[in-house]
Amino acid sequence: MITQRRLDRAAYILFIALILLAPLVLGDFWVNRIAKFLVFGIVAVAVSLCWGYGGILNLGQGLFFGAGAYMLAMSLKLASATSMQQGSDHPVPDFMLWNADPGAPTELCCINRGSFLWLPFQWQWFGVVMGILLPVLLAGGLGLVVFRKRIAGVFVSVITLALVLLVRLVVIDAQPLTNGFNGLTDLGTFHVAGFGFDPYARATYYLVAGFLILTLVGSRLLVETRAGLILQAIRDDQNRARYLGFDVPIYQLFFFTVSAAISGLAGMLYVIVAEFASPTFMDLSFSITMVVWAALGGRASLLGACIGAILINVIAASISETATFVEAWKAIIGVVFVLVVLYLPRGLAGFAQDFGERLERRFADSGKTTTPGVIPQAQVPRGQAP
Amino acid sequence: MTVALTIDGIGVSFAGVKAVDNVSMLVHEGELRVLLGANGAGKTTLMDLISGKTRSTDGRVFLFETEITNWSPNRIARAGIGRKFQIPSVFRDFSVRGNLNVASCTDPRIRSNLGIGIPRTRRQRIEEVLELTGLAEFAETPAANLSHGQTQWLELGMLIVQNPKLLLLDEPTAGMTQNETHKTAEIIKGLRGQHTILVVEHDMAFVREIAEQITVMHLGRVLAEGSMTAIERNEAVRHAYLGSYGISAEAV
Ligand SMILES: Nc1ncnc2c1ncn2[C@@H]1O[C@H](COP(=O)(O)OP(=O)(O)OP(=O)(O)O)[C@@H](O)[C@H]1O
Ligand SMILES: [Mg+2]
Repeated sequence: MITQRRLDRAAYILFIALILLAPLVLGDFWVNRIAKFLVFGIVAVAVSLCWGYGGILNLGQGLFFGAGAYMLAMSLKLASATSMQQGSDHPVPDFMLWNADPGAPTELCCINRGSFLWLPFQWQWFGVVMGILLPVLLAGGLGLVVFRKRIAGVFVSVITLALVLLVRLVVIDAQPLTNGFNGLTDLGTFHVAGFGFDPYARATYYLVAGFLILTLVGSRLLVETRAGLILQAIRDDQNRARYLGFDVPIYQLFFFTVSAAISGLAGMLYVIVAEFASPTFMDLSFSITMVVWAALGGRASLLGACIGAILINVIAASISETATFVEAWKAIIGVVFVLVVLYLPRGLAGFAQDFGERLERRFADSGKTTTPGVIPQAQVPRGQAP
Repeated sequence: MTVALTIDGIGVSFAGVKAVDNVSMLVHEGELRVLLGANGAGKTTLMDLISGKTRSTDGRVFLFETEITNWSPNRIARAGIGRKFQIPSVFRDFSVRGNLNVASCTDPRIRSNLGIGIPRTRRQRIEEVLELTGLAEFAETPAANLSHGQTQWLELGMLIVQNPKLLLLDEPTAGMTQNETHKTAEIIKGLRGQHTILVVEHDMAFVREIAEQITVMHLGRVLAEGSMTAIERNEAVRHAYLGSYGISAEAV
């Protein structure tokens, strides 16, 4: 058990060191690319928290990612140079003018019926706050209904899936407000106290890496709290937890919402790194891909899921990117998912854990410290490994 | 003597059939009450009604002075009623100690559970319960690897850790070997006096070992109530059990 914990900690430290040192050997192009993958790593942590620890398979994680992304992108759109060149003293997004009715005033307040909603986004920090708040409100509202009604298992997945598709349609449909299919492009840079985060700069990489480390360590601490243990207990046996006196929906709601907030944060970081927000964030395939990352890495392991996401994306990016390959890649991902579900249900992290246990047993044997009667097997709840 | 559990004319029907019909019962503080009855007599349903699993259509339930009729299960558990199910259920991915750790979080709010680790006083209680249930040497074993009997004891231990005012045990020896049954009887006897216990049991040897007061149910109603000897002599009970399974027949 002690060895297991030590290996676990070593894995975290190694991983953190690795992502902090990576930019030293990478060129600008790859720094930007890996930064994107680290964002996906954050998303995978959110998936793992919700699915691996809470047993709630959210097939609409892209909804929260997209919500975070759009909120910040709206602010950055208004901060873009193009928004200041539309013949007004105040910024107006270019696409609103292209779509404007003839004779409409070229002001954000009233260029079209909903454009006033954009007004507060002139303050970048409003966008940032909304980037967390909107996912939290969406998840809170959805969770309140779903968990209170004791909807469980596959039904939660179906509902989240339907919801992300619905919102995607709405976003595409609200063309005058969202630029529809094209999404928000031509964004300004994200500024903190006068410092601009250029997508290709190392500073931006470290911004993402910093948040990844924060999310990873924070989530890990969270699942080790008593509340985190109770959540895992609920995953194991909801009824038992209820009859021990725990208000099951509250716990599910809490962690579902935390997971949504993390996804929103990831969405914002993605906008900073990739310089666009698009309805494709809410494509079904994207949400499912997120689940595959976590499954491959090990859904019940925060670090495993995170590494799974980064690994899959690095592999995909290392192989050439021809159009036929992109199609083939989708098939490969599908096959990987099936194989993992069938043969590696605990993902790569499960592998690492078994290895750690073997090591531990060897230590125990050589030290002759095994207690009779103790079964030398997994001694930590599966959820707590690297 | 203080009354721990008051059941006042409780009843429920499923699809027009009264599974529990106007049952009234008093259980005193510290008492160990055995609930007997043939299959389908309504024993489990009565426990469901007390613990909030099933909503009653008539009657009321009190835990000490508090009326708990039709509260939600988790609220009833918090009020101090621990329920053991007929089919044992534990958290299989946790170690034995992990299960007890979770159960020991008696404050249900998230905000008070955002700390890491179990406070020392509670850890002490967990050690006591590990001893009491004979699971001390299996403390680090994953619950999934326990034998059937051990799983039952663990579930019992999870309830005891919570120091409930009332324990509802539905067939705690179901599927156990004779040895295990005997050990379970020892554990339950060890709780006598400190906890108020209502236990459903079919195993007459076990009942003989632990019973003080017995309530017999038949077709959703209370048929008789009294000491073991009184119940064995009761004409109505003999009559009801004749041909199905006789208490007296097994008793000799
Ligand atoms: N949820 C339900 N829906 C419909 N009928 C039910 C339900 N629960 C119990 N019953 C019926 O109520 C009656 C009492 O069942 P109950 O399980 O309480 O009996 P029991 O005394 O616990 O029997 P056993 O000794 O077999 O456990 C049975 O006829 C059963 O079929
Ligand atoms: Mg029963």
